Amino acid sequence: MEFNYFNDAMKIYLDYISRQFKKNPGYMPHPLIRALTNAMQGIEAAKDGENVSGISFEGTENNIYEPYMVIVQKKKDGIEIKEILNVKVEKQIPIDVMIMIFRLQIHLDKINGGTVSPQQSVDALNEVIPGNKFYALGDKWKEARDKFAKLLNEGKIHLPPNDPKIEEFKQIDNNTPWENYPNRLRALIGGSTLKYFDKKAKIAITTPKNVRVEKYKVFDIAIEFLLGKISKHFKP
Amino acid sequence: MKEINKIYEHYFDIIDSYFGSIKNYLEDDKYSHIDLGMNIANYPLVSDLILDAIDDLGTEIMQFWPENSKTVLSLVKEQDSLKCVYSGDITPVILEDFVKKSLLYIDTVIIPDPILNLTILQSQIALDKKYYLSKLVRHVFNVWKLKDLALADIEKNALVILPINFNIVNEDDKNKLLLDAYKRFINYANDVFGQKFDNESDSLIFLGKYNDAKKLYSGIKQFNLLPNIFKKFDTFEEFLMHWIDEKRHFQLETKTVGWDFGEYLLSQFIRVQEHKFFCEKVSGEPIYDYDLPYFFFSYEMGGLDMDASIAIALQKEKFKWIANVPLPALKILREENKLEYMRSILRKGITDLKAKRDEDLLRTSEQLEKNLKEAFEEQEEEIASLEREVAVITKKEIPIQTAGSMVGFIPVIGNYISIPFAFRSILDLLNQRKEITQKIEDKKTDFINLLIKSYKEE
Repeated sequence: MEFNYFNDAMKIYLDYISRQFKKNPGYMPHPLIRALTNAMQGIEAAKDGENVSGISFEGTENNIYEPYMVIVQKKKDGIEIKEILNVKVEKQIPIDVMIMIFRLQIHLDKINGGTVSPQQSVDALNEVIPGNKFYALGDKWKEARDKFAKLLNEGKIHLPPNDPKIEEFKQIDNNTPWENYPNRLRALIGGSTLKYFDKKAKIAITTPKNVRVEKYKVFDIAIEFLLGKISKHFKP
Repeated sequence: MKEINKIYEHYFDIIDSYFGSIKNYLEDDKYSHIDLGMNIANYPLVSDLILDAIDDLGTEIMQFWPENSKTVLSLVKEQDSLKCVYSGDITPVILEDFVKKSLLYIDTVIIPDPILNLTILQSQIALDKKYYLSKLVRHVFNVWKLKDLALADIEKNALVILPINFNIVNEDDKNKLLLDAYKRFINYANDVFGQKFDNESDSLIFLGKYNDAKKLYSGIKQFNLLPNIFKKFDTFEEFLMHWIDEKRHFQLETKTVGWDFGEYLLSQFIRVQEHKFFCEKVSGEPIYDYDLPYFFFSYEMGGLDMDASIAIALQKEKFKWIANVPLPALKILREENKLEYMRSILRKGITDLKAKRDEDLLRTSEQLEKNLKEAFEEQEEEIASLEREVAVITKKEIPIQTAGSMVGFIPVIGNYISIPFAFRSILDLLNQRKEITQKIEDKKTDFINLLIKSYKEE
């Protein structure tokens, strides 16, 4: 039995989408599929051998997330998908990543609404990306903060000289709620102390527990981890 | 289209919407559904995608049955036909073969919905995901292969899929079935091990004390009450090890050998009660493809009647050649209303009483084999005799065909014979030959001959 990874994954996912449409006509598929659909719409008017592209994204015009471009070519005997591109990381999507994205969409679809909790986003990411690479700091932020302060005192936090984040951290009152910490500081604290909470995890999600995260931002985390600039640090 | 067929169209549409994308990998051979199940479960990355994508299949099937089961159950119950309800694994190993053997004698094979049963199983125990996927694909495509037969527009549905599962029985009935099962289990365990317990926990605790297969075996007091494969230590031990291994596969806790054996026995008595319950619901007979579950049902009922015994005996290995019969032939058998004739052949020399006494179906299956052989010989003899008749007529025709002369052909039946009369005789002979040749053709293409062909193909 010789399988065709791309075709099979695509057909399985398209079947899934068509079932979702039956249940909810307003269902919104992943931008990758929407970009593919857009490209397919343009293919009818194209001549044999001509390329057609389709684009789709999430977020707003000013805050674009998950921008995808699909390029298809009209052939005499059908249509060939030439490229599936994530425009943000400017990379083609390999089949294994495409499958993970499809799976992530399915997992997030199970959660009602357009947002998820930080823990739900971590659960979904760990479900589809092997190795339990993500960790939600949640209630442990105080422990993380104290640990970070200790490491800082011991000179174990290595940052470029005069990095403003150190001073920024020192200025923050101990009673300041986690929500009021600047994002970059939360990320620094989470990243620096992650190994003390979870030895396997590579990425700490430091979003405060009660804040809801847009689903499309979860895809961004996945793509950044798998294909973005930081991905080279996490190769298995 | 019949109402029941519309419901099954919907059922197969559900399957198609979930598994349509992999059906192109289903090959023609008999075991292809098993291979497909294993290959899909081992398909890197894609198997995970499938598992995620079909996650709501259980919910959909749980909605489908409450909407349709009442209608299907009453339509099946009303159907005046000989029905058999399958009880064994999720589906028979090769459903097509099972159905072919069964439909030689009965009108309707009823099988439990594999999707529903696997969904319930999955929700009850932490079934390994890939194992579940392999099973699901295997059993779904086992049924899918018979889609045409299930949807065939014939008077009595040949294959019916029903929601048959202990967990969908209402609480009152479920409690009653469980009580009956416990009672039978306690009695059986008491008889086999020479004890006098009056509740199932005590029986299990007693059996649980045996932590070694040999000791357990030596505790047996009445071997005559055991199924055949338990009567010898080697096969008894082999069965036990397999059962314990299966439990591990299902991530179920195993205790001692004795406890696991007790749980097996109890599960069989629950299964018997469940099967009896559903057989009654559709006025059907039980049918099995494994000796062990059959043994416990037969033990419970004190033997089975003729119809159930014949249907089950046909599943024996010696009749595996029936699987060579092409599936469409079963539809033809029904369309030509020859099933009753087939039954009369198979029933020869078998009565309810004889079947009841025949605990391991040995005599019933031997009688069936004899009946089929006799029918084959009769058929072959009939064809041979018809062919002899044609040969005689052809011989008589030779003068016309070869010499083109009437001389020597005019039958001498009187002193006065006219030429037109002679022509009439020739015409009669020609018509007679045509009729007999047609009869031979019919005989050669009828169901018995298809069976003979299948038998000789083996």
